[in-house]
Amino acid sequence: MSQENFEPKIVVFACNWCAYSAADLAGTSRMHYPPNVRIIRVMCSGRVDPQFVLDAFSQGADGVLVAGCHPPADCHYIDGNYKAFRRLMLLERLLESMGIEKERFRLEWISASEAEKWVKVIKEMVETLKKLGPLKPKLEVTK
Amino acid sequence: MSEEMEKETEEPRIGVYICHCGLNIAATVDVEEVAEYAKTLPNVVISRHYVFMCSEPGQDLIREDIKKYNLNRVVVASCSPSMHEPTFRSVLESAGLNKYLLEMANIREHCSWIHDDKKAATEKAKDLVRMAVAKARLLEPLEEKEFSVKPSVLIVGGGVSGMRAALELSQYGFDIYLIDKSPTLGGKAALVGYVDSTRGSEIVGKMVKLIKSNPKIHVFTNSELVEFSGFPGNFKVKIRVNPRYVDEKCNLCGECEKVCPVEVANEYNFGLNKRKAIFLPFKESYPPYYVIDDKVCTKCGECVKVCNYNAINLDQQPSTLELDVGALIVAIGYDPYEPSRGEYGYGLSDNVITLFQLERLLDPDGPTNGELIINGKEPKSIAFIFCVGSRNTGPNAKPYCSRMCCTSSLNSAIKIKDKYPDVDIYILYKDIMTYGNDERLYEEAGKRFIKFVKFEEPPDVILDKEKLFVDVYEYTIQEYLRIPVDLVVLAVGMVPRHDMDELTAVIRASCSGDGFLKELHLKLAPVDSSTKGVFLAGAATGPKNIIESIKMGSAAASKAMSLLSKGKVTAEPTIAHVNEDLCSGCGICVSVCPYDAISIKVVDGDRLANVEEALCMGCGSCATACPSGAMQHLGFKDIQIKSQISALFGGGV
Repeated sequence: MSQENFEPKIVVFACNWCAYSAADLAGTSRMHYPPNVRIIRVMCSGRVDPQFVLDAFSQGADGVLVAGCHPPADCHYIDGNYKAFRRLMLLERLLESMGIEKERFRLEWISASEAEKWVKVIKEMVETLKKLGPLKPKLEVTK
Repeated sequence: MSEEMEKETEEPRIGVYICHCGLNIAATVDVEEVAEYAKTLPNVVISRHYVFMCSEPGQDLIREDIKKYNLNRVVVASCSPSMHEPTFRSVLESAGLNKYLLEMANIREHCSWIHDDKKAATEKAKDLVRMAVAKARLLEPLEEKEFSVKPSVLIVGGGVSGMRAALELSQYGFDIYLIDKSPTLGGKAALVGYVDSTRGSEIVGKMVKLIKSNPKIHVFTNSELVEFSGFPGNFKVKIRVNPRYVDEKCNLCGECEKVCPVEVANEYNFGLNKRKAIFLPFKESYPPYYVIDDKVCTKCGECVKVCNYNAINLDQQPSTLELDVGALIVAIGYDPYEPSRGEYGYGLSDNVITLFQLERLLDPDGPTNGELIINGKEPKSIAFIFCVGSRNTGPNAKPYCSRMCCTSSLNSAIKIKDKYPDVDIYILYKDIMTYGNDERLYEEAGKRFIKFVKFEEPPDVILDKEKLFVDVYEYTIQEYLRIPVDLVVLAVGMVPRHDMDELTAVIRASCSGDGFLKELHLKLAPVDSSTKGVFLAGAATGPKNIIESIKMGSAAASKAMSLLSKGKVTAEPTIAHVNEDLCSGCGICVSVCPYDAISIKVVDGDRLANVEEALCMGCGSCATACPSGAMQHLGFKDIQIKSQISALFGGGV
């Protein structure tokens, strides 16, 4: 696939209270951003099992974003964001050893009022992934 | 198994409903194409599109289909679930279906409103619907649990808003715990502000009188909320009551104050004068006893020696109060914007003061007993500078309008002019926002020949030896003016309280970008916080005048009332659930639960995880940590989330 026309698919796991609301606010504020993301709502970033991220990559995601509430104290469930942080930082290292560039995975803290940050992160990710190209063909080669 | 449950565990029969939201969705997403596409998805029996799914006819459409097509799952593709999930859940319920068999696809906030390209937006909407259908196939009926509620409310903040809420709620027989971090009730309204011509302190005085005689309202000053847990209707709170060192034997003789050797700036006059370490905040403060500020007190004991009533105890220690309450109202108020040193000459000259300081000077109970005297002299010429700290007028200024400063300033200017008719008053303004009935003040000011000077670029305050000038480019006459004045009043706005972070860390409430507490929804839930059972009132959510704060106190009280009045609450059933056949009793879930809701029980020698349903808040941390998949997050089960991922990429469940 030519890299220029390549439209990456990004799976987002967004926590209900912060990131999902930020995406809602981006919508109500009519902020435009690329249509490459598909959001899966979870109650807390601490609910995001690393297996979900691996599933997304193995089935065709070019990038995965996990977005939750700002540390230290924004988490609706006290410290779910820290749990996500610990698990997913470990996952990031594993991804690299699996040949998945670490730029394909991002963990971001986005509060309910940070629609601008939400848009910025999505735009950056789309741009990065367009440069990296699709993940799938590479995986097939390594099989 | 009940008939309802049987129907819901049958092969899924899904109805898909695509909302146009007028043109909000339909202008960018080809709703017809999406509805047609949904018909091709597995288990979809019927798919429709309609102009407003949330309208009564839209709801009827779903209800009728549920009966006609014997549907047992519903997917609505419309706005964000935070908007209408409760609406559509009640549709399912009224059609005899368990309301947790609904899944929503957010094709408005997350699709039509953020994209221009109709083709791309339509494709995205199809993906979102496909993912929702996949999850809907695996949804299970969930049962809401009922819990009794504690007939009591904790109100944090004893200003007008908190006091109003306390008075409202006490009428229904609830026990109200009204706490304030400061040593007195009253908040800022006790010091500044007017409602028409009534001083804030008079309003506070009336409220305090009612609270004093109300046996249902328990007041704790010098007190702060330090722990908050539990669930709506059944919160557990811990309050630290800091020592006052002076008890009810105090009869306000004031001898202690005379001998106290420690002097600090008096925050109750916004630093205009000094107070001692032992002091009475203001004349009408409640409880009506002196208090010792232990941050500055040296414990020299002089006050103890002169107190004839044995009212002072320097050895008093903080105590902790543990309470069970049904609801929490947060009414912590605001801080005045503090200009930085040198901002419009503030801090460099005693003749540059803030609006809050001016109001104290004009107050009959203030440091000058209401006389406008600065450095021993009456000013002959006064300039008010508006929007200080608000409306992006300076590098530290906030973007918002603080609502009350225009009216407060004009109120003060009129009072000055009535008392000192020879004083020249200049109002340097960006815009005049005397909204509603307060427009009258603008007229009154004009009648008194108060001069209005409009600026676009903020004025400069020039300090020239003993003289003070304000330089401004007058926007209407397009001329530079240099106005010699004796006093500059900075009409400062409202900012979030400096200790906001301490509170939000305890109650886990979120703030808006401006740093004020954020409502759950500006239109649909304007006094609810993001935590159910926690309500917001007053200027804690953004600038408000006294009347608006009082109204919001009443509103928060009625919301707390509607939660507690039924005597029981239903809890969301989307919580943790153990599959005991898979559980090995390893206890990892116990260690990750932030609410101590999970314990290990031993049944016939087997260790099993046990979820205390009332305590589980449904974060799903345990489900993520469980190594065997025994712990599942209902409504967000592994298999349900994975089905969304698979559906997105075209795979099976």
